[in-house]
This record gives sequence, C-alpha cells and structure tokens, in this order.
Amino acid sequence: MSATTPVREELERRPKGASRWLVPAVLTLGALAFLLPFYLMVIGSLQAEPDTSLSGLVPSGGLTTANYAAIDGSVDLWRTLLNSGVITGGAILGTLVFGVLAGYALAVLQFRGRGTLFAMVLLVQVIPFQLLTIPLYVLTVRTYGLADSYLGMVLPFLVNTTAVFVFRQFFLQLPPDLFSAARIDGASELRVLWSVALPLVRPALLTVVLLTFIGPWNEFLWPFLVTKEADMQPLAVALANYTANVAATTSNPYGAVLAGSVVLAAPAVGLFLLFQRHFTATNLSAGVKG
Amino acid sequence: MSAVTPARPAATDGSRPKTASGSDGHPPRKGLTGLQRAFGRHPIGTLLALPYAVFLVAVFAYPVVLAAWMSVHDWFFSAPGVEVDHPYVGFENYRQVLTDPAVHQAFLNIAVFLVINVPLTVALALVLAVALNRAARGRTFFRVAFYVPYVTASVALVGVWLFLLGGDGVVNSLLGPLAPQPSWLVNSSLAMPSIAGFVAWKQLGFFVLLYLAALQNVSKDLYEAASMDGAGRVRQFSTVTVPGVRTTTALVVVLATITGANLFTEPYLLTGGGGPDGASTSPVLLMYQLGIEQGNPDTASALGIVLVVCVGLLVLLNRRLLRSES
Amino acid sequence: MRTSARWTAVAAAALLTATTAACGGGQGPGDPQGRGPITIWLSNNEQEVAWGEERVAAWNAANPDQQVTAQQIPAGKSSEEVIGAAIAAGTTPCLIYNTSPAAVPQFVKQGGLVPLDTMPGGDDYVTQRTGEAAAQYRSPDGHFYQLPWKSNPVMIIYNKELFAKAGLDPDAPQLLTYDDVLAASEAIVGSGAAQAAIWPSPASQFFQSWFDLYPLYAAASGGQQLVEDGEALVDSPAALEAAGFWRQMYAQGLSPQEAYTGDSFADGKAAMAIVGPWAVSVYGDDVDWGVVPVPTPDGLPAEEVHTFSDAKNVSLPVACQNQATAWDFLQASTSADADRALLTETGQMPLRADVAQTYADWFASADGAPYAPFAQQAARTVEVPNVQNSVEIWQDVRNAWTGSVIFGTEPVESALADADAEVQHLLEVP
Repeated sequence: MSATTPVREELERRPKGASRWLVPAVLTLGALAFLLPFYLMVIGSLQAEPDTSLSGLVPSGGLTTANYAAIDGSVDLWRTLLNSGVITGGAILGTLVFGVLAGYALAVLQFRGRGTLFAMVLLVQVIPFQLLTIPLYVLTVRTYGLADSYLGMVLPFLVNTTAVFVFRQFFLQLPPDLFSAARIDGASELRVLWSVALPLVRPALLTVVLLTFIGPWNEFLWPFLVTKEADMQPLAVALANYTANVAATTSNPYGAVLAGSVVLAAPAVGLFLLFQRHFTATNLSAGVKG
Repeated sequence: MSAVTPARPAATDGSRPKTASGSDGHPPRKGLTGLQRAFGRHPIGTLLALPYAVFLVAVFAYPVVLAAWMSVHDWFFSAPGVEVDHPYVGFENYRQVLTDPAVHQAFLNIAVFLVINVPLTVALALVLAVALNRAARGRTFFRVAFYVPYVTASVALVGVWLFLLGGDGVVNSLLGPLAPQPSWLVNSSLAMPSIAGFVAWKQLGFFVLLYLAALQNVSKDLYEAASMDGAGRVRQFSTVTVPGVRTTTALVVVLATITGANLFTEPYLLTGGGGPDGASTSPVLLMYQLGIEQGNPDTASALGIVLVVCVGLLVLLNRRLLRSES
Repeated sequence: MRTSARWTAVAAAALLTATTAACGGGQGPGDPQGRGPITIWLSNNEQEVAWGEERVAAWNAANPDQQVTAQQIPAGKSSEEVIGAAIAAGTTPCLIYNTSPAAVPQFVKQGGLVPLDTMPGGDDYVTQRTGEAAAQYRSPDGHFYQLPWKSNPVMIIYNKELFAKAGLDPDAPQLLTYDDVLAASEAIVGSGAAQAAIWPSPASQFFQSWFDLYPLYAAASGGQQLVEDGEALVDSPAALEAAGFWRQMYAQGLSPQEAYTGDSFADGKAAMAIVGPWAVSVYGDDVDWGVVPVPTPDGLPAEEVHTFSDAKNVSLPVACQNQATAWDFLQASTSADADRALLTETGQMPLRADVAQTYADWFASADGAPYAPFAQQAARTVEVPNVQNSVEIWQDVRNAWTGSVIFGTEPVESALADADAEVQHLLEVP
C-alpha cells in the first residue's frame, strides 16, 4: 500500500526538521477527531443499556450483538441491499457516463449553449431539494408514470450535478496543449476524452464515485415516496422504518438507531476500502512529456 | 414561447456532428463549417452535453419553474381533479417572507455559519490532504478515518454529537471550568458555530479526497525546483501547493458555500428544529416548515427563490474573487 | 445572448410537454359506489401492523372479489409529508390508518379526503361509535373527513424507585397541584435521585407543545381546546397557568433545556414523564412505575382532569377508486370486536364512547390492569383544534414557548399574547 506515489517517495527521502513528526502528528490528531465519534457509535450500538457517562467511553463489558441480531431478524438485509445496490449503481453509472461527457464538454469544448448549461449547473446545485420534493414527486409519478419502479427511485440522482461540476473543474486543470496535440494527431473528440483526458483525472473519477454514491445510498424520503412496496425499498428506508418502529416500542431506542447506522455505513466503508488503492497518482508532468 | 418548436429539431440535429467530428482535428481558426457556425467551434460539445441537458430539463426545469410561478400566486398542492383558484398575488408572498423576523434571523444565522464553516473547511481539508499525501505509512487507515463521517447517516452522528456536546458531555468534561454556560447547543451564541463545526467535520472527508486528487496533478518538478531554491516545507506549501490546487480551492469554496446555504438536517436534528429560540434556524428549515409541514408552498417558494438568488450571487462573488487573485 | 435563447427555448419546449402532461394525466376522484381491490396504509408500529394484517386476512377470506392489501408508512413526522405528497399526485391508497388530526385541515384544503358522512350511514356511524367526543373531529364545514379511531391519552408516569430515593411516597405520591409537582421535583433533583424531575423535549418542532403545554392546558381549562368558537385562547388564564408552571420547572433546573438522546425515563435520568398507554409495554419490565393524571393549578380530582388525546384517525382519500369497499372495510375494522383486538394487542384506546365499561373484563384482567388508568382518562380527552392553518398555528405557539418558557429570553405573558394575536390572525385570514 505504501510504494505508490513517486512524488511522495521522493519527498519522503529527505524529511527535514519538524516535518519528521509534523505530518504523523497532524494525521493522528485528525484521525482521532474523526474516529472518536464513530467509535462511540459502534460502542453504543453494542450496549444493551445506553451508558452516557464518561466511563462509558471504555466499556468494561456487557457488550452484546443483540441490536444487530434484532435488525437481522426484522429487515431482509440481502433484499434491501440489492435494492440499494441497484439504485446506487444506477446513479453512479449515469453520473460517470453522462456526467463525464457533460463535464468534458463544459471544460474543453466550445459549443453553443455552453454558458447557459453551465449557469444551469450552478443553479441546480444552489436549489434546495426541499423546494423540489413535492413537484418532482408529482412529475415523476404522474407525468412519467414511474411510481413503484427503480427508475423512479434513481431519477433525481441519475446525473449528479455536483459531479459534473467537479469533472469540469478537473478537466479545466489539464493543460489545453494536451488536447490540441491529440487533435492534431487526428484523434476524434471521444478518443481524446477516453485515452488522453480520462486517465489523467482518474483520482477525480473515484472521488466523484465516492461523492455520488452516498447521496442515494443514505436517501430515505425519496425512495419511500416513490414506492411503498417493502420488497423494492432500499436499505436506508428499511432501517429508518425499523428504527422508528423500535424507538416507539423499546426503552433503548438509541442502541437500535446506532446499530442501524453502522449497518448502513458498513457497506459504504467496505467499498471505499476496496477502491481506495486505485486512488493514486497519475503524474501529470509525465503525461505532458509523454 | 413561439421560438419553441424550431429549437427542438435543431437540437436533435446535434446528433450528426459525431461523424463530422474529424473536423475538430483541423487546426483552429480555419474556415468554419456550417455545423460550427450553428453550434460553435466544437459542435460535438452539444452532443456530449445533450443527455445531461435533457436530464436537467426533465427533472429540474419543471419543478423550478413551477416554484417560481407558485411564488407569485396564491398556491397549494391540490388533489388531481380538484378545481382550485390560484389567483396572481404579485410580490405578496415575497413581502411576507422578507418582512418576517424569523427569516432575517435565519439568513443572519446562515451568514455566521458560512463565515466559520467555509474557511475552516478549506484550511483543514488542505492541511489534512497534504499530510495524507506525504504520509509514509498508514495511508489506508487515515483515508478511511477521514471518510467515515462523510458516509455515515446524519441521524446517528447527531446522536453521538449530542452526547459529546451536552452539558455534562465529553467536551465540557475536558474543558472543566472553561466549559461554556449554557452549554454549546443551547447557547444562543454558540449553537450556530457548533453546527458549523459539526458540518465541517462531517464533510471534511470528501473535501480531503478532492484535494488529494488535485495534489496528484501538481507537478513534482515544481517541488524539486522550490527545494533547490532552498524553500522549506512551509515555503513549498505556500508557493507550490496552494497555487497548484487553486482550481480545487475554488471548487471547495463553492461546494462548501452551497452545502452550507442548504443547511437543513443539522439544525433540524442537532438543535431540535433550530433552537435555542431560533438561534440556529436556517432558511431551508423555514422553507421546510412553511412548504411541507404547513402546506404553504407559495411562500416557501418565495423564500426558496430569495435564497437561490442570494447563494447564486455569493457563488459568483466567490468565483470572481478567486479568479482575480490569480 | 443568442446561445442562451436557444437553450431557453429547448427547456421551454420540454417544459411545455411536461406541464401539459401533468395537467392532463393522473386519475381524478374515485367512485363512491366502486367495489374491488383496495390498498390501505398502516402505521409501521409492529403491533399495529399485526393487528391490521389480521383484519385484512379475515376480510380477504370473506370477500374474494374485494381484496385488501396493506402497506406500511412510518408513524413519525414524515407520514404527513408522505400523505400530503401522495394526495397531490393522486397516489393515495383507499384508507390511511395513521392520519394525524392536526394535518386533516390541510388535506381537506387540498381536496384530498372524502367526507365520511356522505357515505351510507356515515354520520351516524361516527357519532354512535365515538359519542360526544366525535364533535371535536367534525370540520368547520360540518363534515367528518376522519373517523376518530384511537387515542393515547397522556398522563404522568413516575419512577417509584427514584421517588423513594428522593424521600417521596412511591405508592401514593402527592402530585395533584402545580405546587405539589414543583415540590416533588425539587426533592428529586435536590436529593440527587435523578438529574431531572421531568424531561419534555425542548425541541422546536410544532408538535412538541402537545406533550408539555397542551395536556396541562386541557386540564386547567376544564377540557377546552386551544381555539374555541373561532377564538384563540393562547394567552387565556389556563394557558398562562400552564406556561407559568413549566417556566418554573425550567427556571429552577428541574426540567433541562437540552435535548436528551434516547429515553430519559427509561435511563433513570428523569423521575417522571408525560406518556400515553404505549408506555405500559415499553417500560413494563424495566421500570417500577406508577401513573397519575396531569396536575392542575388547584388540584382537580383525578376523575375531572382532562388531557391531550394524541389520537390517530382513519381517512378515506378521494383518489380511492373503490370507495364503497373502503367504507365497508373501515366499518369492519372499527367494529366492537375489531376495537377489542386493537385494545388488547396494541394497548391503544379505541375512540369509542365508554371504553372502560365496554371492555371492563379486559381491564380487570392481569394483562389489562396496567392500562385501566389510561382507559379512565380516555373518557376526558381534548383534541387539537380542527381549524385552518393548524400546523402553522402550532408552530407559532411553539416558537413563543421555546423563547419564553424554556429559555426565558422574554416574559411569558407578552410572548403568549403575541402568539395569541398571530394565531387569531391565522384563524381569520381567508
């Protein structure tokens, strides 16, 4: 996992003075700040009775997986995971295909309507979803007839506008010479995009996948509006229903809420672990020289 | 509206440049083809952007235009088949919204939020990304650590933070006599800063990843050159790294501003609906109350449009400022 | 300029098709005589779902040509959003079993609900089943858009162990008057028996006032609603008394201003809580508890105390295609037998006249005994007023409440007087 970035190795070879400890110190401090709440969440989900005292930080025992067993008992995890996968996968695919095309066009190409389209990209991001929920629902269900369908659930997430914006920004960072050179070589625009531009923004692609992924993954209200069929609902909806239900009927709703959140977050973190090693450098200067 | 019909076929014609895209290979400023005259220098751009444009129109245009229309009418959502009169009321909804003290307070709150959240996000994300990029070991661990809050649903994190920031919570126990009175989330001058900190913390993982991606594209030659000039780490950071990721900083500022302006979940959950006493209400929270809870989508839309205009101006201002710096 | 004109034109064209389709599409109101398959929505509470599925199974066995399908929607705050959106889109089912009375005026304004009194025998059915209390559920236009179904009358539950620790009588605590409760609260917090005497949610959502202000107001006013005959009573003497009591609780630190994560009563952080009969199954085995009616300024005897009903009702949306089937199923699922099943399986009180007498045998049994005090209380419940702008009214009340009562940033009287004026305005706007 270590020998990946040439830049980093080069710099690592000659640490100077303070930076020998500065980098690890900053990182460790950061990691602590990030992981402590998550640690509390996991611990809380494993406790039969909530312990909100300070000593509860280091549980002395009495941990139980009962909260998880209860979820497994009342939520069809595989079915809902599959539904989540379909919805999230659709959003990622749509964003990667149409988003990259649009981002590339916005950054590199000059065509009529570019300014307007970019204005729309900015505008759409600025608009709060709460303003659109009901009209969008009426449109999706009545005009497009997409009630009780995966397409209906994925529709608002199909192309993530923030992703388009990020793609554009990363394509903008690439030197224009790169494209003119490729075009002079007679490459078609799609070929320039596919074999010149895309490899250079690979980290951005992955970042965007990680960004796009989480919206539909955690979304509760929209999928629930579109379908009330239990066997079409994604994990987030099933867990939200479960925790709301538990909150009303047990004296320890907190543990159930935390366990539900851990279950929802686990696949996301797992996928991140799987993909994060592709998150490495493509050295731009090499690209320009080559 | 009369220009509508001719425009549609023109856009569909955009499917043809695909075969003609070889024309892009021509050196620039040669004679323009007819296609180029109609669609700009790279007609294929229209084609590439078309699916996304269609998506925007199909999914966003109708609700947005409807919202604008609602905001100048007396309007609510009626059941299909129910005849309801929706009289035009001019700027009455806007007048109601703009004279509401709760709205003033919400905009003030969000300004406090942005002033704290955006710089904090940019600074912390960049520092952590640079540190992560240079880390010798444990990169996977740190990446995951930073990313975890971003993927975790707010509901659970809010529970944990309530526990951390509570009157006898962990943070106050550590602070001892320095703990604020009343405590963070029920202190009207600390509630919004606490939320700004929480949101920065929650979103940071994503922005670190953005910066990390950008850092891969900063040429190592620049660092070598700076190093040869005798620049230390700090100098390298300010002379090479910071300018090198300028476009990403612009992106982070814009995204953080937009996310911040759309703040909803945190005041709704963390401070129990904008408490204490409205000190942490946000415009979107008010919009939610007006439009969805209280069934007044017309005034909610007016508030939404005001918010969109404000944020739009803010984003343009940001972009202009960041551009003029370069 | 020309480039943007073209894009605008494209957008406008697509939009035009979209809007025309939106206006033309969708199904209109259903048929009052229609019979056939229907869908119903149940609250996703486990016991209620089980109850609902039994009713559906029994019905489906007897009516093969009019099958009923049950779906679940969450009981919480999002259910009103879901129902409101479904009404706008015409995708509502035929019966909604967790309609909040506070949301009914809004759904009626949307034109989304069928007046049940227009169904055969509708008016009689509602008034005979629910008795006098039904009047609270009649809309200003005289129609019943909801069947008053079940209530969760709220009372004060207390932790006997913590009371004993604080030196209070755990079996017959003195909690009749405001002064009684304040004295007991001081003993609890002063002795360190619990961090809080009682811990209502200090949050600002509109519905929170139903669990601090409203029960005490209902009791102090002798059973009045917050609006009577079109007049707002937000700063009436009863409301000011109730607000003054809670101000004392917050000012003396007997009720915390911070939200509690989880359940303060179950965790022993608070010695009392304001709860409905659902508490019996929730706290049943974990806490040794007793229950008393909410206090009144002068200590009314228990059998005269009113409280908030926390009811959930059944509504029949206009988009339902087979309304005759829906109406029949609604009657079948709210019969005396079905209500008995509801009571014994979920512990919630059917909104029927004389629940305590009708099911006296069950309340005398070991299972039913803990619910008996709630059944007594069920005879005297007060609903939220059935008026226009209902949710907005409650939000205004709540905003005044958090500022003055909880955080004490302004005097209670002036805050409630301002809120009263706003509420009066909201009642009168056309």
